[in-house]
Amino acid sequence: MIKVDNLWLTYHSGKERVPAARGVTLDVKQGQFVTLLGPSGCGKTTTLRCIAGLEQPDEGAITIGDELVFSAASGAWVPPFRRNIGMVFQSYAIWPHMSVFDNVAFPLLHLKPRPKKAQIQERVLRVLDLVQLGNYANRPAPHLSGGQQQRLALARALVAEPRVLLLDEPLSNLDAKLRDEMRIEIRDLAKRLNVTTLLVTHEQIEALTMSDVVAVMKDGLIVQAGTPTEIYSRPKDLYVAQFVGRTNLIQARRTSLESADKIRVSVETDLGAVICTASASYDIRLPTTVAIRPEDIEMLDSGEDGSSDNVFEGRVEKVVFLGESVDCFFQVQNIPLVLKVHPARAPASGVNIRVRFPVARCLAMPV
Amino acid sequence: MFATVVVVSVVILAHLGIVFWLSVTDGSPGISSLTYTWNNFLEVFGDRRTFSVLLNTFGFAALSLVVAIAFGIPAAWLVERTDFPGKTILFTLMTIGLLIPGFAAAMGWLFLLHPRIGLANIWLMKWFGLHEAPLNIMTIAGMGWVQGLNLAPLAFIMTAAVFRSMDPSLEEAAHTSRADFWSTMRRVTLPLAWPGILAASIYIFTIGFAAFDVPAIIGWGSRIFTFSTYLYLLASPQDSLPRYGLVAALSTVIVALAALLSWWYGAMQQRARQYAVVTGKAYRPRILKLKKALIPAWGFIGLYFVLSKLLPISLLAWSSLLPFFQIPSARAFSVMSIAHYVALPWDLVLTGATNTAVLMFLTPTATLIVSLAFSWVVLRSRVPGRQAFDLIAFLPHAVPNIVFGVGALLITLFVLQKAIPIYGTIWLLLAVFTIARLSYGTRMTNSALIQIHSELEESAQISGASNWEVFGRVLLPLLTPTLLYAWLWIALLTLRELTLAVFLSTGNNITLPVVIWGLWLGGGLGQASALAMVMLAFMIPAIVVYWIFARRMGLIAT
Ligand SMILES: Nc1ncnc2c1ncn2[C@@H]1O[C@H](COP(=O)(O)OP(=O)(O)OP(=O)(O)O)[C@@H](O)[C@H]1O
Ligand SMILES: [Mg+2]
Repeated sequence: MIKVDNLWLTYHSGKERVPAARGVTLDVKQGQFVTLLGPSGCGKTTTLRCIAGLEQPDEGAITIGDELVFSAASGAWVPPFRRNIGMVFQSYAIWPHMSVFDNVAFPLLHLKPRPKKAQIQERVLRVLDLVQLGNYANRPAPHLSGGQQQRLALARALVAEPRVLLLDEPLSNLDAKLRDEMRIEIRDLAKRLNVTTLLVTHEQIEALTMSDVVAVMKDGLIVQAGTPTEIYSRPKDLYVAQFVGRTNLIQARRTSLESADKIRVSVETDLGAVICTASASYDIRLPTTVAIRPEDIEMLDSGEDGSSDNVFEGRVEKVVFLGESVDCFFQVQNIPLVLKVHPARAPASGVNIRVRFPVARCLAMPV
Repeated sequence: MFATVVVVSVVILAHLGIVFWLSVTDGSPGISSLTYTWNNFLEVFGDRRTFSVLLNTFGFAALSLVVAIAFGIPAAWLVERTDFPGKTILFTLMTIGLLIPGFAAAMGWLFLLHPRIGLANIWLMKWFGLHEAPLNIMTIAGMGWVQGLNLAPLAFIMTAAVFRSMDPSLEEAAHTSRADFWSTMRRVTLPLAWPGILAASIYIFTIGFAAFDVPAIIGWGSRIFTFSTYLYLLASPQDSLPRYGLVAALSTVIVALAALLSWWYGAMQQRARQYAVVTGKAYRPRILKLKKALIPAWGFIGLYFVLSKLLPISLLAWSSLLPFFQIPSARAFSVMSIAHYVALPWDLVLTGATNTAVLMFLTPTATLIVSLAFSWVVLRSRVPGRQAFDLIAFLPHAVPNIVFGVGALLITLFVLQKAIPIYGTIWLLLAVFTIARLSYGTRMTNSALIQIHSELEESAQISGASNWEVFGRVLLPLLTPTLLYAWLWIALLTLRELTLAVFLSTGNNITLPVVIWGLWLGGGLGQASALAMVMLAFMIPAIVVYWIFARRMGLIAT
């Protein structure tokens, strides 16, 4: 539904050149919910604005549906107001001089042919009901709470039934509890209406809970795109592993291939040999790091068999209670590591424990 | 400090008080048998001339508003919302444009469009074989046109601020909601900018309403009066005794009108603030690429500067070099000389220049000291009722300056007369100039003081510094840049001030602009032009200093 091909855009601020998009390539299927995830300044908003037509890229091509809306090569350009999109801005951009109703009716007034008055009325009220603002139609728009303004922005973006919905950090101005609710609500709404959605965020929790596909960005490029599970459990490289979730890192001294299919590798570390799974970017010639998530490290009971691969002995330094789980900080051969266990199994600090790194969850990747 | 504030407040209120008081008394004040009557008002409203003057004034102010906005708003939009490359230049020229004396531009335009001697008229008549001058500047329309050109920089600066404070994502949201450029302009941009534009319009209208320079220079000769020139006529008639009661009554009417306008202005300002960006998050202005529209944009800006500055000043220079005004010709060039410059009444000019120089130095100094005292009392002291002082400091902004001129005249003539013989000295001018600039001064010192967190002072106090030490060591150094900037601005405004000076000048305290006005009134057009040119030349170094300073403070660069 949205195809972005090798998008380049450089901003000129004063004499400085800021390359904000450096070859972004992205493919969003009809009805999919896709998230652009990345740290501040990595070019997420820039990419979204290019798709909306609010910025004109220097290079590349953008297709929405089967319409080529921008192409540097052919000079194609469709202005934003003809792209048939809906967009929610980070500041919501609610027009303060209009009522709630007028805000939502605005896109309908610009449809060609313009719908009849009764039809506009009906469609506006329907979408306001959808976002639970049915009772607020006649309020001046500035007299809404933050959460209500956010729903209003959503209603305005959806009312003309656009081909795609673009959301720029729609939850960042809400408080924590409301954010939890709206995450689910927005995803449900998008799915119910079957609208192709592209969301920009720097919160991993939003990306993981809302999306069909997460695209992780870095310095104007998409480094990895995949389902939330893929991104979380099989990060392509160290950057993704560290940006999405927490991870233990162990420096490697030497690596060798363990299996012919190049998937299992044996990594020489300060802990001893660790058998790992190679990540997508693994290269035997490059310096390597082993990454394993805290919740993936298994703590063995005293009677359990410790003869399998990747079993190490360590000493508990500190135990931090988090409510639903416990973070257990421990050291193996002076290397600090952390694992996560159910509070009922929490060890006391100072005791020795045995842990196992399951091979499938131990990733070898370039530094 | 508190004493200063109280004294100045009393003086300000006394100015208005005496105007009100005299408006409801009969006979000449000073006589012991004063009676209270409505006669002055009855006479003012009974006179047909009052209505024609008010009508003139409304027409004049409205027209100057239209002209100011027609040039100011598009220029502001170009600067704030497009990739127009000459932004810094435009800002600089507009700011400086505010400093060019209104009377200089008015004189230039008179030479261009005078029905008999106006260059453009003579040429048009020759080319098209007309028997009558097609354009006449000596009309309300002509005066409004010139005043509008003079006020356009103000419209520009005020609306630029409106466009700047508007969240561009509001316009972008319209684009992504299917609205094209014009629809967005009509339904989003302009409605959002509207309260701000309206507030600026009210402000400009108020200034036009009370303007003196342009109607005096252009309208006096043909007896076309607006409110301020009419007041001047009543206060210093050539053939009868001044009618101070009438002057006071007319002033009172104007104060009421001004109060209404400034209430409206306040209400609009508040609306405008509601629409302005409230999120602290920095946003990037949406910049429209002009592309091919760049040439018309430059043309538009160029046209404005030619009309408002280049043309009138060139004509002024031309007129100053000729024995009598004539169209350019071989003969005209052959008789060009600096005779007018040589023949200037140099004694008078020197007196005026000295007085102006002294006032240029003392007015900003006094204004800022008093402003600082006001700001301190309002913002930092715990005196009960201190907000009232803020209101009083706002009065000179709300009430047309000329009313303060009238008030000062009446006070010095009828109240102080014997006790403090201040009439006819530059101290009177200093006092009134200071009051007139107090609103601007306190606005600057208020905003500077607000930015300095009071914890900075408190920590100095806790470290054992006395009040004065805190002021001298902590506050003053932090305030210095703002104070210097405001000092320069007020000094430049003092240099060009004609309205107040004309009411209060006699032989000894005459200022340079008043000398020019006197020459003009006496028919010495060439000499008046020459002196105006001299004055403009003297402004150049001051403006350069101001400009360098404003640049450094980031007040001009955009
Ligand atoms: N109009 C502009 N002029 C100059 N530089 C810009 C402009 N817009 C963005 N940039 C720069 O381009 C880079 C990418 O900006 P972008 O807004 O796309 O980041 P982002 O990923 O959305 O970040 P955030 O999460 O903070 O919103 C940043 O370094 C930013 O400073
Ligand atoms: Mg962003």
